[in-house]
Amino acid sequence: MSNILSIISILFLPFLITIILIYGIKTKTPIYDVFIEGARDGLKTCVDILPFIIGIFIAIEALTSSGAMSFIESTASPLFKLLHIPEELISLIFLRPVSGSGSLVVVENIMNQTGPDSFVGRAAAVMAGSCETVFYVLALYFGVTSVKKMRHAFAAGLIGYIAGVFASVYICKFI
Amino acid sequence: MMNYIWGGMLLLGISFAAIGNKLSDFTNGLMSSCTEAVEFIISLAGIMAVWSGLMKIAEVSGLINKISNLFKPVLHYLFPDVRNQQTIAMMIMSFVANIFGAGNSATVFSLKAMELLDKENLNHHNASNSMCMFVALSMSMIQLVPITVIKIRSDLGSISPEDIILPSILSGLISMIISVWVCKFYERKSSHV
Repeated sequence: MSNILSIISILFLPFLITIILIYGIKTKTPIYDVFIEGARDGLKTCVDILPFIIGIFIAIEALTSSGAMSFIESTASPLFKLLHIPEELISLIFLRPVSGSGSLVVVENIMNQTGPDSFVGRAAAVMAGSCETVFYVLALYFGVTSVKKMRHAFAAGLIGYIAGVFASVYICKFI
Repeated sequence: MMNYIWGGMLLLGISFAAIGNKLSDFTNGLMSSCTEAVEFIISLAGIMAVWSGLMKIAEVSGLINKISNLFKPVLHYLFPDVRNQQTIAMMIMSFVANIFGAGNSATVFSLKAMELLDKENLNHHNASNSMCMFVALSMSMIQLVPITVIKIRSDLGSISPEDIILPSILSGLISMIISVWVCKFYERKSSHV
């Protein structure tokens, strides 16, 4: 089952590229010229989003390197105990919404300490596999728009994230 | 919204650094993180250019219209306001890339989709319902094989590293259903006002 899934995942991009190229040739599209034109647009988008990325990166770093993050974690730990969420997962739960790469390091540490096949280790892995970097995505996606008020995107993301956290922990408890 | 969150994060950091006597760590961290941001964009730039180029071919050749017509019925429920076929196609591509674990490519498609949704948005300062739904869906989109995590697990000597696939998909689905529900709830609420 998992083998089939990984094969599909590996084949997906080459397959997609083949389809695009063949369809382009069939419809007599000047594929090379159009590709260059599109690539130029892509690079422009990169330049457009760079200020937002810098903004997010420094704000996240401000929270982690100053010790504010660990303070928030220790303050919140009684609440998590009440909800039967293992305390090893707390730092992951707080770091995941803001930093994808940072939270992977935490996942690795957790699995290293508790063992990859333990309940806590599996819950951490599931969380990393299913919960998104909510704040990061919000800042990045709205960064390319002219929107000032993101309305319920924030609530939907946050509530969805919290649901994902609980689902990860409780599903791992039972499976 | 972002003004307060961003300002709050930085100010919170500065005050904690001052209290905990970590101001030099704080400054060093800030300086290295902006360099990291630029490095991240440089690593994304190549992929961004390649996919934008390929998607441009798909757009000009008419492939995008074909794909978006195929998925129209499903997306009509989630995005009743989106008419532009290119926007629909970009959103589909972003979801599909997410599902197959092509994270950076998914980011590219998502950003394109957001740009297009922004063009369709009549009230420029407020996010449209479709934008919120799209962002919520992208954030909770499931990934068939969370390859990075599986790799870490097998490196650490897990007996069956792939055991997390099913729980991840399940928990991702729960998170997705709830996000969609929150969006629909707010949409209904705001249409009554």
